[in-house]
Amino acid sequence: MMQGRPSLWLLLPAVAFAQEPLARGTDVFNKSCATGYCHQVNGSGGGAAPRLAARGFEEDYILRVIQNGIPGTPMPAFSTSLSRADLMAVVAYVDSLNGIKPAMNASDAGPPPRKLSGKAQEGRKLFSDQVLGFARCSTCHQVDGLGLPIASPMQKIPENVAALKQLETPGVSTATLDQDGAGTFPALVLTQSQETKVYDLTLAPPVLRTVPKAAIKIVAGSSWRHASVLTAYSDAELEFILAFLREALPHGSANN
Amino acid sequence: MRLLAALLALTAAQAQDGAAHDEWLHYGGTQFAWRYSALDQINTSNVKKLVPVWSFQTGDYDYGFQATPIESGGALYFPTARSQVFALDAVSGRVLWHYKYPLPRRPYSYINNRGVAVQDGKVFLGTYDNYLIALDQKTGQEVWKVAVDDAIQCACNFDAAPLIVKDKVIVGGTGGDQAHRGYLTAFYLKTGRLAWRFYTIPGPGEPGHETWKSDSWRYGGGATWMTGSFDPDLNLVYWGVGNAASDLYAGDRDTGQGSAKVNLYTASVVALDADTGKLKWYYQEIPKDMWDYDAAYECVLMDREFRGRMRKLLVHLNKSGDVFVLDRVTGEFLTAFPYVEHHNWITGITEDGKLLGRREPVEGKNTFVCPSASGGKSWNQVAYSPRTGWVYTPSLEFCNDLIARRQEPEEGRFFIGGNWFLKPPPDGPAYSHIDAYDPVTGKRQWTWRYKYMLFASILATAGDLIFSGDPEGTFFALDARSGNKLWSYQTGNGHRAGPITYRVNGRQYIAAPSGWGAGITGLMTTVWPETAQFVKGSMLTVFALPEETR
Repeated sequence: MMQGRPSLWLLLPAVAFAQEPLARGTDVFNKSCATGYCHQVNGSGGGAAPRLAARGFEEDYILRVIQNGIPGTPMPAFSTSLSRADLMAVVAYVDSLNGIKPAMNASDAGPPPRKLSGKAQEGRKLFSDQVLGFARCSTCHQVDGLGLPIASPMQKIPENVAALKQLETPGVSTATLDQDGAGTFPALVLTQSQETKVYDLTLAPPVLRTVPKAAIKIVAGSSWRHASVLTAYSDAELEFILAFLREALPHGSANN
Repeated sequence: MRLLAALLALTAAQAQDGAAHDEWLHYGGTQFAWRYSALDQINTSNVKKLVPVWSFQTGDYDYGFQATPIESGGALYFPTARSQVFALDAVSGRVLWHYKYPLPRRPYSYINNRGVAVQDGKVFLGTYDNYLIALDQKTGQEVWKVAVDDAIQCACNFDAAPLIVKDKVIVGGTGGDQAHRGYLTAFYLKTGRLAWRFYTIPGPGEPGHETWKSDSWRYGGGATWMTGSFDPDLNLVYWGVGNAASDLYAGDRDTGQGSAKVNLYTASVVALDADTGKLKWYYQEIPKDMWDYDAAYECVLMDREFRGRMRKLLVHLNKSGDVFVLDRVTGEFLTAFPYVEHHNWITGITEDGKLLGRREPVEGKNTFVCPSASGGKSWNQVAYSPRTGWVYTPSLEFCNDLIARRQEPEEGRFFIGGNWFLKPPPDGPAYSHIDAYDPVTGKRQWTWRYKYMLFASILATAGDLIFSGDPEGTFFALDARSGNKLWSYQTGNGHRAGPITYRVNGRQYIAAPSGWGAGITGLMTTVWPETAQFVKGSMLTVFALPEETR
C-alpha cells in the first residue's frame, strides 16, 4: 500500500503538496529515525543520537546528512535505503523541527516511482523472497536495486518459463582446484591472472575463490544448468518473475 | 551404582578444560566461552608491577574498537570497526599483514566488528555488509568470500566474531530490530561451501511455527548477533537468539492463546547438532518478549555440582537482568536469579521457569521498566573462573519508559513497534558494577561499583585476577576473590572491547583493546553530558611483568 502513496501526492496541487510530505515525513521519521536507539520522537534526542529539533540547521545541510550520513558516526546514509520521495519527506519534517519552510519542491523529489504492474510487483517479491533463503534469484542476480551482482547483467529475458528453464549457460566453465578438497566444480570465471578469481557454483550461495593460477585448471563448458537453481519456484511464480524482469529492466520489453 | 555414576560424572567434569592456555584461540577464550586463562605468571602478588610493553594504533578509529583479539602461534589477529584485519607479532606488536576490506558498494548502518575466528590456516571475518571472508593466516590474502545475505534488503550484517566448530565456521547476524527473520549459517572452512542454515523462526510446517500469528513469522526478529559456544562431547552448538520483532508491540505476533511458548525461538537459547544444524533442544527464557530483551548473549558452558549431582550447565545472561541456568544436555531449566539491582519487569521466576507479574508495555502510554532495553548488561561478555567457581558480570543499572505502538513491517526497516526513553533508577542516578556470582546458588560474592557504564568484556585468570576497562580509559585488575582493585593503567581511551591474555617464550602478556566511539557514545551522553568529551580511538595496549621480575 505504501508504494502508491508518493505518486499520489506528487499529483496533488502545490498547496496540498506543502502538507503532504510533512505528514509522510513524520511517519517515515517515526519509523526509521525516532527509535529508542536514535533520534527519538519529535527529534528530541535521548537515544544514541543527538537532538534534531531547534538546532538551527539549514535545509541543504539536512538534505546532505540524510542522503550521505555522517562518516565516523552511526548516522547512516539514507540515499539508497529510502525512496527519493520518502527522503524528501523526511527532509521536510526535519525542516519543520527547525522552523524552516521546505524550499525544495516536487521536482526535487525526482521522477515519480516507476509503477510496476500487480504481476510484476508479485514477481519482484518472489525474486528476492527471503523465505527462500539462498534459493532465490537475488542470490546471484541484481535487478532494480535488489540482490547481488554475481551473474552478469541479463542481456535478454526469456520469452516464457520453458525458455527460462532451457536457458543455456555459456558463461559457466569447469574448474579443477587441487586445494582444500575443492575438486572439480562448475565455475564462473572473473579473472584469470596470477591471481585467478572464480565463483564456485557447487552450491548456493556461490563462493568466490581467489587462487594462484597454477593451482587451478579451467576448461570451457559445464554440465551446470540454470534450471537446477530454479527449483524453489513453481512455473506460475516464474511467470511473475519474468513479468518483473520485463518491466524492471530497460531492455525488458518491446516498448523500451 | 549411584556412587559410581557420581564418580564417573566427576571424572568427566574434571576432564572439561574450558581454560585458554598459552594461546587465545576463540572469541570466548575457548569454545566453552569462559573468558578464562590458566596462565598465572601475573597474579595477585605481582600485578602491581605490570607495565606496558608495546601499543598499537589501528588508525580506523571513527567507530571505536570492539574486538577481542585471537592469539595463535605467537600472532594476534583482530578486526577494526570497518572490517580491516590486522595480524601483529604478539611479542613486539610489529605488523605481519594488514587486510583492508574495500568499502561496500552501498552505504550501510551498523559499523562494528567484535572479532575474527582463526583455524585451518585461515582467518575468518564477517563484514559490515554481510560477507564472510576467509583470509590466508600467513599472508592476509583472500582465499574465499561468500555473500550471506543482501545487506540492503535485510538491513542485517555481521558484527560478532564467527565461531569455529570442527570443519565449519558458523556466523550469526544482526537485524533483530528490523523487519527480518534471523538465522545462523555454517560454511565449510576449506571451501566456503554452505554446510547448513538454521532459521531462528520456524517456517510453515515446522514445529514452533504455530507460536506466530498469521504472517508475523516472516519479520519476527530473532537475530543471532553475538557468538555462540560448542561442546565437543555432546556435539552441540549453543547460541543465544535475540528479541522478537516488532520489539515492543506483540499484538500482531501473539496468537493470543495464552500458550507457555510464544514466538519461538526468539529470546531463547537453542542447541543445534553441529553437523546438521538441526535443533536438538531450545529453552525460551522470555515467551512473548515485549521489552527488547535479547537472549543473544554468550552461553557459558561449565560442569558443576548442582543440587547434589554433577551436571553439564549452561549459564546465560539475558538482557532482562536475569541469569538463566540450564542443563545443556537436555535444555532443562534449573534456576534463575537477577544480576541487576533494579529489576521490576517481572516480580519473579517460579522453580520451573515461569515468569510472574509481567509488567508489559502498553500501546500509547509510558510504562516504567527496569532494566532498560539497553540491557542489564550490554553484549560485553562475562568471565568464569573454575578456581573460584564464580561468574564475573558487568551490570548496568538503567531503567526506561517503554511505549508500544502498532507498526506494519517493511522488510529491512526498523521494526521497533514503539519507543524507549532511558531513565535513571527510581532511587538515584544510573551506575554500573562488576559482581562475582556463584551461578549454582545465585549468591553474590562481591560487588565493585562504577559511576558510568561498564562496556568492556571481562577476563579472568588463574592468577585470581579479573581484568576489564572503563569508558574513561582506565584498564584495571580486581582481585577475583574480594573484588578489591589491585592495579590500573590509563590507556588514553575508553574501553568497549575484550581483553585477553597469552604466553609467548615463557612470558605472559595481557592485551587490552581500547577505543571509544560509535552508538554507545550517544547513549552515554543522554545521561552524563560530560561523556560527550570522550574522544574516539582504536588501539591495543599490551602489558607484561618487567623482564627482571619474572
